[in-house]
Amino acid sequence: MGEAEKTFIGGLHEELAEDKIIDESQLEPDFAEQIRKYGGKDVMTCLQCGNCTGVCPISLKIDYKTRNIIKCCQFGLKKYTLGTRWVCATCYRCYEHCPADLNPAEVMIALRHIAVREGIIPPFIKAAATNLVKYGQSVKPDAEIDKIRKELGLGKVGAEHPEYNKVIREINVLVHATKYDKLVGIQEEVKA
Amino acid sequence: MTAPAPQEKDTAEATKKEEPQSTARPRIGVFVCHCGSNIAGSVDCGKVREAAEKFGDVVVAKENKYTCSDLGQEEIVKAIKENKIERVVVAACSPRLHEPTFRKCIQQAGLNPYLLHMVNIREQCSWVHSHEKEKATEKATDLIRMGVAKAAKLEPLEAREVPVEPTSLVIGGGVAGIQAALDLANMGFKVYLVESQPSIGGKMAQLDKTFPTGDCAICILAPKMVELSRHPNITLLSYSEVEEVKGYIGNYEVKIRRKSRYVHEDKCVGCGLCADVCPVKVENEFDLGFGKRKAIYVPFPQAVPLKYTVDKENCTHFKSGKCLLCVKACSNNAIDHKMQDEIVNLKIGTIIVATGYDTYVPKQKGVYKYWEFDNVITGLELERLVNASGPTGGRLIRPSDGQPPKRIAFIQCVGSRNIKLGTNYCSRVCCMYAIKNAQIIMEHEPETEIAIYYIDIRAFGKGFEELYHRIREEYQVEFIRGRPAKLSENPTTKAITIRAEETLLNKITEREFDLVVLSVGLRPSEGSIKIAKILSLTTSPDGFLAEAHPKLRPVDTAMDGIFIAGCAQGPKDIPDSVAQAKAAASSAAAPMFSKKVTVEPLTAFVNEDLCVGCGLCIELCPYGAPELTQGSKGGTKAHVIEALCHGCGTCAASCPQKAIITRQFTDDQIYSELQAALAQNKASNGKKKAEMEVS
Repeated sequence: MGEAEKTFIGGLHEELAEDKIIDESQLEPDFAEQIRKYGGKDVMTCLQCGNCTGVCPISLKIDYKTRNIIKCCQFGLKKYTLGTRWVCATCYRCYEHCPADLNPAEVMIALRHIAVREGIIPPFIKAAATNLVKYGQSVKPDAEIDKIRKELGLGKVGAEHPEYNKVIREINVLVHATKYDKLVGIQEEVKA
Repeated sequence: MTAPAPQEKDTAEATKKEEPQSTARPRIGVFVCHCGSNIAGSVDCGKVREAAEKFGDVVVAKENKYTCSDLGQEEIVKAIKENKIERVVVAACSPRLHEPTFRKCIQQAGLNPYLLHMVNIREQCSWVHSHEKEKATEKATDLIRMGVAKAAKLEPLEAREVPVEPTSLVIGGGVAGIQAALDLANMGFKVYLVESQPSIGGKMAQLDKTFPTGDCAICILAPKMVELSRHPNITLLSYSEVEEVKGYIGNYEVKIRRKSRYVHEDKCVGCGLCADVCPVKVENEFDLGFGKRKAIYVPFPQAVPLKYTVDKENCTHFKSGKCLLCVKACSNNAIDHKMQDEIVNLKIGTIIVATGYDTYVPKQKGVYKYWEFDNVITGLELERLVNASGPTGGRLIRPSDGQPPKRIAFIQCVGSRNIKLGTNYCSRVCCMYAIKNAQIIMEHEPETEIAIYYIDIRAFGKGFEELYHRIREEYQVEFIRGRPAKLSENPTTKAITIRAEETLLNKITEREFDLVVLSVGLRPSEGSIKIAKILSLTTSPDGFLAEAHPKLRPVDTAMDGIFIAGCAQGPKDIPDSVAQAKAAASSAAAPMFSKKVTVEPLTAFVNEDLCVGCGLCIELCPYGAPELTQGSKGGTKAHVIEALCHGCGTCAASCPQKAIITRQFTDDQIYSELQAALAQNKASNGKKKAEMEVS
C-alpha cells in the first residue's frame, strides 16, 4: 500500500490531534444537510453512544471509529471526514444496533459522494474506475489471474467473449453520458 | 348538496328558557387576538380585522394583543353592551385552552355562554405557517369567515348540573394508588381500592432500598399499607379487577370482579399453617423466579391483606381433585375450593387510575443475551437478590453457580431511548437505581468492582447528583460512556466479556465481569392498557396514559372525573409518584366536595320524526349513550341518554336518516361554515378565471 492510499484509511483522531483548537472557521454549518442530500439520515439524532464503533468489524482491525465520524458530521468538521471513509464495508451492523435509528453506513456512502464531488478521490478508486471503462470490470485482468482461472478449469475473463467490444463501448457511452468520467477524473481513458 | 332544514322541534326545546329568537340577522362581534407575537408574528391581524369588519352580520371587529387578559375580556364585555352583540367570535388559540374563559366572559355581559365560537388561528394557522405570512393572513381571514357563518347559526344552550356521589374508586394498589386512597379517605370520602394482585404494594414492595436516601422500600411502604387496610373509609378489594365502567363524572357505575382466592378473607388469619402442609412448590412471581412459594401463598411476608390465596393453576386439588391438605390444616375452615368469583357493583363519583408500569423484558434474542446467559439479569431481579427478605436473604449471588460476583457491570438504557424498540423516551429511574444498587453492593461487599456503561447519566432530582458524586468518591464505581456492543460468555467460568467503545477515550474496550445487570426501562403495564380501553382513556405516543394537558392539567384525563397518578401516566420515581397521587386525590376530591358538577350541554339528540330505529348509532357509540325506546308517537326510536353522551358526533355523522343532531355541531352549522369557505374559493377562482381570460 502506497503512502497516498494510506491517507484514505488513516485514523481520524490523529488528524484531529493536528489541530489543537478547532474554531468556527473550520466548521461547515450545513454539512449535516449536505449529508442528508446524498442519502444519509439525519446525523443530528445521534446519541454518541458508541454502539456502532463496538460492532464495526473494521474498527476492530484499524483505527477507525464510526461514532467519531458521525460526531464530526454533527459538528460540521467536513475536512476530517472526507479522506478516510472508504474503509467502511457497508455491512450495516451499525445500523442494526443503532438505538437512534440512524444508519451510519449510509452516512459513509454520502460522505464518499461529497468527497468525490470535492475532487478528493483515492487513487484506488480512480484505478478501479479506469479498469471499468477499459476492461468492463474494476479489477485489471492480468496473467496471474488467468493462470489461476486456468488451474480451476475456468476460461479467460472478458476479452474472449464474442460481445466484449460491444459491452465496453456501452460502458463507455454510459460513463460519459452520466458524466461519471468527469466526476472521477478519467475523461482521457474514456473512448467517446 | 343543500343544508337540511333546521329541526324546529328540537331548536324550540333547546331554547325554551331563552327569549324567542328574532327573525332579524344576529349581530356578531369578532375579536382577533395577537397572542403577543404568537399569532401576530405570522398573521397580519390588522388586515384580518379589516376583512372581518366587512363580513355579513358583523357589527364590530376588534383586535387585541392578549384577548384572554383582563383588558381583552373587558373590551369584549364593553363591545357586547355598546353594540348589542348577540354572537361572539374569538379568533385566537385552540378552544381547548380558552373556550371556558371566553364563555364566562360573555356570560358576564349577559349573553348565553354557548353563543361563543372560537376560531383557532394559532395552532391551526400562525404556528404552522410561520414562514408564509401572506398565506397565513389569508387563511386566518378564511377561518374567521367560516366562524362568523357558524356563529350566526349558534343556539343558546343550558349547562346541566348533576350531583356527585362522594365515593372514589382507586384502580391500582401500588404506592401511588395507596397514597391517593389514603388522602381521599382522610378527607372523609368513601374509597374503594381495587388491586389485581393478592396483595397491595405494587412494584415498590419488591424494591430493596430507595434512592437517593437509601430508605428500605418495604419499611416505609408497609405502614402505609397497614394504615390503608385499617382505614374506616377505605374498602380494599384485592385480587379484583374492574370489568366495566358506565356513566359519567359523579355518577359512574362500576362492575368489579372479585376473583376467587378459594380462601374466605373474613375467616383467614394469615397463620400460614396451610402453606406449611401444601406439597406444591412453584416459582414466586414476587421474587421474579428466584424464590419458591407454595400453591397456597401470600406473595411476601408484609402482604396486605395478609390473606392466603390458592393458585388455581398449580393446586393439586384443581388438577387431580385430591389433596386438600390445606383444608385439613386450617383451623378456621377458611379454605373453600368451591368458591366462585363474585361481582361487585359500585356507584362511584370519581376515579383515579394508578395502574403502574411493567419493566421492559429484553425479548429480542441476541440483545444483551438475557435469555442465553445465566449471569445476565435485570435491575428488578437484582433488587430481589440484594433484598434482605428476598430469596437469598440479601446475599448477592451469581445465578450460574451461587457464588458472590466480584466484578459487576450495569448496562444503562436497555429498553429506553431506543427508537428501534419504539421506546423513544427516557425511563427516568434507571440511572439512579443502578447507582443506588451499586452503592448497596459496595456496602455489602466493599471488594467488588463495579462498572456502569451509560450514554448519559440523568441525576436530576433532589439529592440525586449528590448520590452520583458519592458513588464515585466513596466507592470508586467506574463510569464508562458507551453502549456495549457485544456480550460473550466464557463457557467454563460463565464470566461475561463486554465489548464497548469507551467513547471518551476513543478506544474499544473488552472487559470481563461475573455478573451483568441490565438497567431495564419502564413500559406501560398490561393493566393500564386494559383499563384505558374500559375507561376510553387516551394514551401518549409512548403508550402511557395521556394527561389532559402536559403542564397545566397533569393528573386530569380527557374524561371528566377520571384522574391518573404514578407510572400509569409515564415513568417516574417514588417521590414523583406520591406527589402525583396527592395531586390526583385533591383533584378528585374537588367535585366531591362541591357535591355537584356542571355538565356540558354539547350532546346529541334524536329527531324522532326522521328516526327509523335502525340502531346503527347504538352499535357505533363508544359511550353506550343511545338506546332504542318506544317513540312518543309510537314506533321504535333511538333516544340518546344525555348524561352518557360526550358529544363526539359519531352517531350524527353516521345516521343514514340524518335524524341525530349534535348540539353546536348541527349539519346546518357545519354546512354554513363549508359554504362560507367554498363561496370565497368560488369567488377567487372566478377572479382567476377572469384574469386568465383577459390575458
